[in-house]
Amino acid sequence: MRDFKYFRPRTLKEALSILTQERAKVLAGGTDLLVKMKDGLLRPESVMDISFLEELKFIREEEGMVTIGALATHSMLERSPIINTKAPHLAEASRSIGSPQIRNVATIGGNIVNASPAGDSLPPLYTLEAELLLESEKGSRIVAIEEFFTGPGQSIIEPHELLTAIRFKAPRGELLTFFQKLGQRKALAISKVSVAFLATCAADKKFLRKVRIALGAVAPTVIRAREVESFLENGSINEEMVDLAAKLCSEEARPISDIRSTLVYRKKVTGELLKRGLSQFIEGVIS
Amino acid sequence: MKKYRVVGQDVEKVDGRALVTGQPVFTDDFSLPGMLYGKILRSPYAHALIKEINASEAEKLKGVEAVFTYKNVPRKAYTTAGQGYPEPSPYDSFIFDKKVRFVGDRVAAVFAESLSIAEEALSLIKVEYEELPAILDPEDALKDGAPVIHDEPEIQGAHDPSRNIVSHVDLEIGDVDQALRDSDFVVEGIWETQYAQHCPMEAHIAIAYLDERGKLVIRSSTQVPFHARRILSFLLGIPISKIRVIKPRIGGGFGAKQEVLIEDLVALATLKTKRPARLELTREEEFVSSRTMHPMKVKVRLGADKEGMLKAIEMDILSNTGAYGAHGPTVFFNAGSKTLPLYNKAENVRFTGNVVYTNLPVAGAYRGYGATEGYFALECAIDELARKMGIDPLILRQKNHIRPGETSPIFKKLGEGREGVPQTVESCGLEECIENGRELFEWEKKRSLPREVAPGIYRGYGMAIMMQGSAIPLVDMASATIKMNEDGSFLLLVGATDLGTGSDTILAQIACEEIGIPVKNITVYSSDTDFTPFDKGAYASSTTYLSGEAVRKAARKVKEQILTVAHILLGASGDLVIEDGLVKEVGTGKTLTLEEIGLRSFYMADQRQIQATASHVSEVSPPPFAAHFVEVEVDTRTGKITPILYVAAVDCGVAVNPQLTRGQIIGSIVNGLGFALSEGLVFNTRGMPLNPNFLDYKVLSSLDIPEIEVILVETHEPSGPFGAKSVAEICINGPLPAVANAVYDALGIQLKKAPFTAESVLRLLGKI
Ligand SMILES: Cc1cc2nc3c(=O)[nH]c(=O)nc-3n(C[C@H](O)[C@H](O)[C@H](O)COP(=O)(O)OP(=O)(O)OC[C@H]3O[C@@H](n4cnc5c(N)ncnc54)[C@H](O)[C@@H]3O)c2cc1C
Repeated sequence: MRDFKYFRPRTLKEALSILTQERAKVLAGGTDLLVKMKDGLLRPESVMDISFLEELKFIREEEGMVTIGALATHSMLERSPIINTKAPHLAEASRSIGSPQIRNVATIGGNIVNASPAGDSLPPLYTLEAELLLESEKGSRIVAIEEFFTGPGQSIIEPHELLTAIRFKAPRGELLTFFQKLGQRKALAISKVSVAFLATCAADKKFLRKVRIALGAVAPTVIRAREVESFLENGSINEEMVDLAAKLCSEEARPISDIRSTLVYRKKVTGELLKRGLSQFIEGVIS
Repeated sequence: MKKYRVVGQDVEKVDGRALVTGQPVFTDDFSLPGMLYGKILRSPYAHALIKEINASEAEKLKGVEAVFTYKNVPRKAYTTAGQGYPEPSPYDSFIFDKKVRFVGDRVAAVFAESLSIAEEALSLIKVEYEELPAILDPEDALKDGAPVIHDEPEIQGAHDPSRNIVSHVDLEIGDVDQALRDSDFVVEGIWETQYAQHCPMEAHIAIAYLDERGKLVIRSSTQVPFHARRILSFLLGIPISKIRVIKPRIGGGFGAKQEVLIEDLVALATLKTKRPARLELTREEEFVSSRTMHPMKVKVRLGADKEGMLKAIEMDILSNTGAYGAHGPTVFFNAGSKTLPLYNKAENVRFTGNVVYTNLPVAGAYRGYGATEGYFALECAIDELARKMGIDPLILRQKNHIRPGETSPIFKKLGEGREGVPQTVESCGLEECIENGRELFEWEKKRSLPREVAPGIYRGYGMAIMMQGSAIPLVDMASATIKMNEDGSFLLLVGATDLGTGSDTILAQIACEEIGIPVKNITVYSSDTDFTPFDKGAYASSTTYLSGEAVRKAARKVKEQILTVAHILLGASGDLVIEDGLVKEVGTGKTLTLEEIGLRSFYMADQRQIQATASHVSEVSPPPFAAHFVEVEVDTRTGKITPILYVAAVDCGVAVNPQLTRGQIIGSIVNGLGFALSEGLVFNTRGMPLNPNFLDYKVLSSLDIPEIEVILVETHEPSGPFGAKSVAEICINGPLPAVANAVYDALGIQLKKAPFTAESVLRLLGKI
């Protein structure tokens, strides 16, 4: 790793000003950034360490809106009562990331800005239709998560902008959620495929209302499986529906072959993961 | 069986406290003023000639002290394999050559004031390559017109370099073809293993310096300090008397460090600059440029009669040794010699095959040493035969496996790349291993359960049996020296090499058992070529068995010396024993402390140092035996295989330290499960490895490891110290066949290519 200038701002304001002046690379938990720097894939002139900005380490719910500070770690998310009740699949996804050591330092902001299609917190955030707050000295903007990513490792964030918070409307009513992930082993494994599912259902628990499904690692960015969503919406969950949904879901996946898996496998298993997740509801809540 | 006081006890590791309290015990914990840092420039091509190499810019860089290329080092063909002399591996390597033979091969080395300067200097070395056609598939190596990887005139000891053949065997006992024709049941198949790497926690590292006498001292993470010294002396043309190799604590080896891979470069740097020099491989280099397991294609044919008695075994192997032949012949021989004798009822046996060069990473010694690849094929074929006959595979094994007092012609026919040594199996607890394992595992009960346990989820139950050896008979020697101090404490000096295996502790236990003292009264110094007596090093499952016997012999001599003094001091005529550090006269109850004996010997009468040295060479290599049972769960929707329960019943003779023994067993099973489920280097079409890192090369994590039950079936091996045999390697042979057999039991699919990825399971199920 070559030498670089190191900044450690004490306030958000200071951070934004450094970003404007120095074009520094942001370091949050560093679990993606440092790997890339050590491998020589990134050679920044300067690095700004924001891990001391306490003001970005929070999870709160106000008037039906859940807001997560960009520096909330995956450990915070997996333990948060708010996340566990309002977005259990996000808690589940956070719990599946890396190892305890990684989760204690790695942040949700880093997971998002790193923009890997295999980033595990992303599919649940897609199903929650989360919004991202991007701030800079010049002002701030709010971007829908689906608009944020443009390709693997790529997004619309500008070098002088900082992601400061993620927010979403707490889904209301009876919730059905899951996060399913398949890696090469049980811990410290990057997803070959992941599926996040969020549905609200009627009080009588007979029918699904709103359905949101997002797929990880099967396209250049995380994608929504919209065909499957509309297929399932206003229906009930039975074996036949689940089988058909799984088939549809495999068709919506657009994966590639790489070192971790093959195209055909990923396509097939995308549907199987959806099926595995949905099957638990057949004799469960809704039947 | 005789009751021992120290042997058979879970004695705390003698180096345990230093390790867990973070004492500076490893090679890298050692830093010398003025030390230079080395870096190796590696080939980006699988096969190429170096047309021109110009290091002048690198040499000019401030802080660079030495640059080595083929132009300024001695050119001598040698083998990196740390084996006994003369080595059975071909002499086909050079410190640097004009030709590079795999992606990651050595091109040049730089030593500089800091690592970053060394790295920068590498980028300043200008190399012009002429790319040559490469062999990336071992099948292609044998084709007419294939590129010749080793066309250098100096090569020695390879079978036919012009055809890329390192070693070739065509061995037949009886008439296999006739026996197969006469058999009522015949099965056949080809099983294939992958490029797997040892992944020791500590990568290869060495530090060289000149001591005050001008002697070259090398502190290295090596399994073979004495072989390293001998090879360096030959390679660099300096006498053995001018080299001292020290092995401190090591963070694992598993065979990867039975090689001389970096010591030559730090030696060159120190000799040139007179300054200390350090070189450590990165994890990527460890994967690509150190050593790997030998990927093999093993074809097996079995023939049996109606009663289920094996009539013929045929094993034909294509072994890929990569760009250089280190351990190539011996690993190949072992694939037969450590497997075929297990089924000695078959009178007709054929073992054939080739070890070939390819332009891929260099395979070497890896725990199991070929037996792992052989057992994958053999034990899967046995299961298939049982299915064909419609009998329980456990019963088929019982009918055919070797028993105490029996032998196999293979012991004599296949040795270390040449003929072996005949032997009769004295201790063999395989029958009990199968019996006890079956009972704990509940083999019959489990195999009568429905395989589908939930929609799409299947369970299956598989087994395998296996053996290994203990040391290389009539080849390898170990020795030990024991000295007594005047306070009655002892020093044990051994050349044996503890890699984290616990051998220092085991050897201390053996010495203490023989003398009659507690382990706290002995200090072990190991693996220093100037201060400890010779030992071949840590490989071939030999330290407990071979070095242990050398220690026992030395201890016996020391004990005799002590008792001679004690007889005089006690004025005793009867029998004397030493128990817990106290000499006792049997019958009278008279006692004497060892301190009294020590003080007398040092200062008073008949003055002398109580000490002894002993050496040991074994005439046999008694096999340990094991039976493994595994329960797996397969998710037919995702193809994922999850091992649920693993039972290993193991006969390693007397377990000198049961806890360390269990550690070896569990460690090797976990290692073998990695081969079965996830490990493997993957290459692109230009021979470039795509996953030389822990992100993409998956070693199992603790969450992936099933419950492992170990049963120690103790036997008493008459030729071993206190009845001990070996246990370090044997159990790595079980997981590949046991898991494959269990998956067949669950789903009726035959996994013949490791690792058994989720993708391959779905493919065999016809789902993708
Ligand atoms: C061993 C290991 C295992 C892993 N396992 C998983 C896994 O299972 N699942 C998974 O999804 N990921 C995994 N990761 C990847 C990584 O841990 C996550 O992506 C993590 O969330 C990144 O967060 P971080 O805070 O460490 O980001 P950093 O490395 O600090 O930053 C990542 C990128 O985002 C930028 N950035 C960070 N924060 C901000 C911000 N607030 N505003 C603007 N830019 C910002 C940085 O400049 C950098 O480009 C693993 C990594 C390792 C090393």
